[in-house]
Amino acid sequence: MDILLPVVILTSLATVFAVVIVFVNKKLAVQDDPKVEEILSLLPSANCGVCGKAGCADLARSLVEGKAKIEDCPSCSAQSKAKIAKILGGDIAKFEDTLVICACCGGNACDDKYEYQGYGDCASIELIAGGRKACSNGCIGQGKCNRLCPYDAIQIIDGVAYIDNTEDSKCRQCGICITNCPKKIMKRIPAKAEIYIACSSCYKGKDVRSMCKKGCIACGLCAKICPQSAITMKGNLPIIDYDKCNACGDCLAKCPTKVIRWLKHD
Amino acid sequence: MNYALFLIISGIFINNFILSQFLGICPFLGVSKKIETALGMGIAVIFVMGIASVVTYGLNLLLVIAGIEYLRTMVFILVIAALIQILEVVLKKFMPSLYSALGVYLPLITTNCAVLGVAIMNITSLAQQSVLYAFLNGVASGAGFTIAILLLAGIREKIETSDIPKPFQGFPITLITAAIMAMSFAAFASLMF
Repeated sequence: MDILLPVVILTSLATVFAVVIVFVNKKLAVQDDPKVEEILSLLPSANCGVCGKAGCADLARSLVEGKAKIEDCPSCSAQSKAKIAKILGGDIAKFEDTLVICACCGGNACDDKYEYQGYGDCASIELIAGGRKACSNGCIGQGKCNRLCPYDAIQIIDGVAYIDNTEDSKCRQCGICITNCPKKIMKRIPAKAEIYIACSSCYKGKDVRSMCKKGCIACGLCAKICPQSAITMKGNLPIIDYDKCNACGDCLAKCPTKVIRWLKHD
Repeated sequence: MNYALFLIISGIFINNFILSQFLGICPFLGVSKKIETALGMGIAVIFVMGIASVVTYGLNLLLVIAGIEYLRTMVFILVIAALIQILEVVLKKFMPSLYSALGVYLPLITTNCAVLGVAIMNITSLAQQSVLYAFLNGVASGAGFTIAILLLAGIREKIETSDIPKPFQGFPITLITAAIMAMSFAAFASLMF
């Protein structure tokens, strides 16, 4: 019977504390601003940290307090941004949307300098003689971006990273791949873009040919034939001025290596 | 009065919780990367130790009356955990600035052995004479914890920029630093009243 007293005392103590905690929680509950919850449900909840805040919840709070701008979140879709702007009492402002592309299509078509055996991802391979690809601007294809992507939007196809930018794209433009790619070949382009250059090689045509079957050979044909003169050659690569481009597709038809590609359909 | 002074000096220097009793090592190593966070943790510990000392002192009287002192440890853990839960809500409501300053450290203390240690030492040492002494002992021990963690944080911030052999980087050098600090604090043991 000696056990009875301690059991009773401990149980009653625990009950008292439980009741007090519940009571205190109920009585003293602090009402958070409902706007914060609402905005949080519209944010991507990936907690990628690109906005510079400690996660989406922190951004939502800062937005309500006026300490941050919704433009800080590149992952948020245009509709959500408009909704958030509405909650915050602002106009449905226009936000410059962007897309993220992988500016390389080499992969298996690009020669290897050496065979890499061992641990690690693109970043560790990059440390050994600037990566295993012959082209120093070529995708290493070990999928660091693929693994880091919080939205699972990047695939490695034939040894090269590829971001699907079609209608059902999973990419939310957070830009984690851009900052983490050791080759810096993930690029941000305006969302109105229809075509892109899937190569980052700054070599001359002959050198490109010797190491990659798919890369841009810097022939300059696209720049010559573009009816809008939206393409200029710079550093052995064509640069597209997306303000001028009207997506006629002439350059795609003429490009000898098919390195200019449609962005939103194959 | 003399005894109160002794309690304070003893809590902070002679019987420093971290450096001579080796309690609360986890936050000592875990939250001492920056002076700012170390200070936050330290203040939270002072706060909780002070309150826990008073509450557990009262509860111990109850345990003695019921004749179940052997359940002390269990009851104290229960009390401290519940206390911090309540404290968190109360602070959030009435002192939001202090709440956000203490931040994540308040719940971290829930399972801190240093807090349990001070509660138990309060009733096994001379501090059991009165609740005031118990409170004083709690606050002084918390202050000792704060001083130790602040010192280590200061050293670690300097270590960060120094050239340290690779095998010693990170926790090894921190542990060596803590050991040297503990040795120097051992000198306080010869303080006489």
